[in-house]
Amino acid sequence: MKLIRETLTAGLLAAAVAVPAQADTVEFMNWTFTEDSGRDRIQALMDNYAASSDHEVEAIGYAWSDINKNAFLRARTNTLPDVMQVQGRFLPTIANIDQILDLNEVFGKDALEAQFPPGFLAMGQVDGKQVALPWIAGTIGMVANKQVLEAAGVDGIPETVEEFRAALEKVRDTVPNSVPYGMATKNNNSILLDYLIWAWTFGADVIGPDGKPDVNSEAGVAAIDFMVGLMNDRLSAPEIDRPDARRLFGQEATAFYFDAPSAKKFAADFSGQGDAYIPNVMPMETPTLAADGTPAAIQWGHVLVMFGDDNASGDSAAAGFVQNILSDEVLIDFAVGGGALPPTTSALASDTVKSDAYLTAWAEAAVAPRPNPIAPLSNGGAISDMIGEEVQAALLGQKSPQEAADDLQARLEEALE
Amino acid sequence: MSDMTYTSEMTAPTRVSPEARRGGLKAAERRFGLLLLVPALAAFGIVVLFPFLEALGLSFYAYTIEMSEPEWNGIDNFVEVLTDGAVISSFFTTMIFVGLATFFSILLGLGWALILNHPFPGRTVLRGLSLMPWVMPAIVAAFIWGWIFNSRYGLINALGMELGLLEHPLAYLSTPAGAMAAVVIAKVWLSVPLFMAFFIAGLQSMDREQMEAARVDGAGNWQILTHHVLPHLKPVIMVTVVLGMVGNLQHFDTIWALTGGGPVRATTVLSIEVYRRAFEQWDIGMAATVGVVWVATILPPAYFYLRELMKGTE
Repeated sequence: MKLIRETLTAGLLAAAVAVPAQADTVEFMNWTFTEDSGRDRIQALMDNYAASSDHEVEAIGYAWSDINKNAFLRARTNTLPDVMQVQGRFLPTIANIDQILDLNEVFGKDALEAQFPPGFLAMGQVDGKQVALPWIAGTIGMVANKQVLEAAGVDGIPETVEEFRAALEKVRDTVPNSVPYGMATKNNNSILLDYLIWAWTFGADVIGPDGKPDVNSEAGVAAIDFMVGLMNDRLSAPEIDRPDARRLFGQEATAFYFDAPSAKKFAADFSGQGDAYIPNVMPMETPTLAADGTPAAIQWGHVLVMFGDDNASGDSAAAGFVQNILSDEVLIDFAVGGGALPPTTSALASDTVKSDAYLTAWAEAAVAPRPNPIAPLSNGGAISDMIGEEVQAALLGQKSPQEAADDLQARLEEALE
Repeated sequence: MSDMTYTSEMTAPTRVSPEARRGGLKAAERRFGLLLLVPALAAFGIVVLFPFLEALGLSFYAYTIEMSEPEWNGIDNFVEVLTDGAVISSFFTTMIFVGLATFFSILLGLGWALILNHPFPGRTVLRGLSLMPWVMPAIVAAFIWGWIFNSRYGLINALGMELGLLEHPLAYLSTPAGAMAAVVIAKVWLSVPLFMAFFIAGLQSMDREQMEAARVDGAGNWQILTHHVLPHLKPVIMVTVVLGMVGNLQHFDTIWALTGGGPVRATTVLSIEVYRRAFEQWDIGMAATVGVVWVATILPPAYFYLRELMKGTE
């Protein structure tokens, strides 16, 4: 009996020594992997981490519009990923998931403050808790297609709303089957961004500092009236969502549209010319009412969140993966390659970032970006739908701009009570 | 050997059959039948009944994304839903969609079945091809129809402009009527093969001699259709109407992929309303309540369908 026990013990010990420690697989849920322009870049991140550690990374891809819903479904079934990419404006929503980690406890508050400038670190904070780390940053601003402007005979970038309209008319009249401005007219979440920027441009606050709506003021109605005018004069078109605008822009059927800095990657893909097309993508200031006005733009960024108690230590495979993709050697290529700013202090100071003409032009165009006022609201999803529905009703001629603004004001007042 | 007297005592079996003890063979067969039902009942309970009961329970709670636990609020959700203009408009939109999609699916399914019931060269191939929309995933069909109706690169606009019928592309999916027509057409296209198969099966059981006799008596095609074919197909029509209504009341995927419930709310049927409440507005309690109302609209046609089915088995 003793012999058997000793033999078994020795066998188990030998097995324990012979078998290496189990490599962890980090589940990384993101939408970039599902996009043609991003799949290879995410694969490279995952391969890089696998090569530099004992751990594998598995991509769980969902389309941008489906990823939040799947996060909540996975939370209900305890199948949350280790790491997730989140659109900055949706972070307050995702932060409601109980299993989300406080990253100050994972990485240490002092270490994070040393790694990121305060402004960027704030992108990942909800109610004072560091629930995310900034991954790539920038603004939602306007881009112009140099080729289309040249074909239409438009000299220079329009600075005022009046010049902008004149440029659109030239494009409409000279570029066949064009949608001069790829204004979002289909998806509520996309309509919201175009509307916010034009509302600010015309001087409406949408939601004022006192938390009250301000959409049926003279300025608010003028903004919707301007958007409706673009539709009526075929300077914009119905059935356009952001992906449609990106495609039309790359195919030289659209001269202007609002997007994140990653616009250049989409243009490169849809033009069929790859990165050689990027010099045609010109970041520009949003036209203003007066020549000396402040161009409107919206703060934008992608952040990384982590879930699960197993990942609560800085030594976990998931924490290692997050730090790996935020390291200079990985982050700078990834962010700059996608046209976005890397938000770490050291990456921002790098020569690659400072010498990038596209990023420099983008930063110069985004003079005073404002935070999305709808994102932090607890019923932000419902409010986005309200704004999208009422603005779309005006754009499609179902309501006058004044009626749409009045109805929107009434709905927002009730929702914000 | 003494004479044997035949008594009940002698013939009584020494062991009683277990079936006899439990009510006889019929009862045993019933028990066996019930046993066979257990896997299906278990699957039904897990996949359908449990989620439904959970949703029914949640419909009495306030449960938004910010709440860690649902909070009981009685019938407040139902009061809000039944007085909410958006839900009421979704209800009417659903009725319009169900009515149009069911009517045209049956009309075209019947017409196509009548054509394919006549012998002609290539009929078998055409019958096979006619089933293609049924085989195709609904989401694929939605994208195909989305491409056909698209205002920028759609087939209809391309043809119209090529033929000089249109000066500018038209945005069919951006008008309430156009969007509703598009989702109805897409759904009818998906449903016609199934209904056609039902009707062909019904037509093949018709007494041909009876029709020939009617023709000899001078009946034309219309009289044959109205006095012989339709009365014969009445049970099939009843079942397809109810089946079509239930299917169209449940429909989600084609509408979501084609219009997303828009423009504005023109194609927001109840299924889309539930999705929006749950996954865009993150209000699970209200989504569950709209879902319960939605189920309530499905119950009457489902009851009539089951009643027709039961009639067939009795």
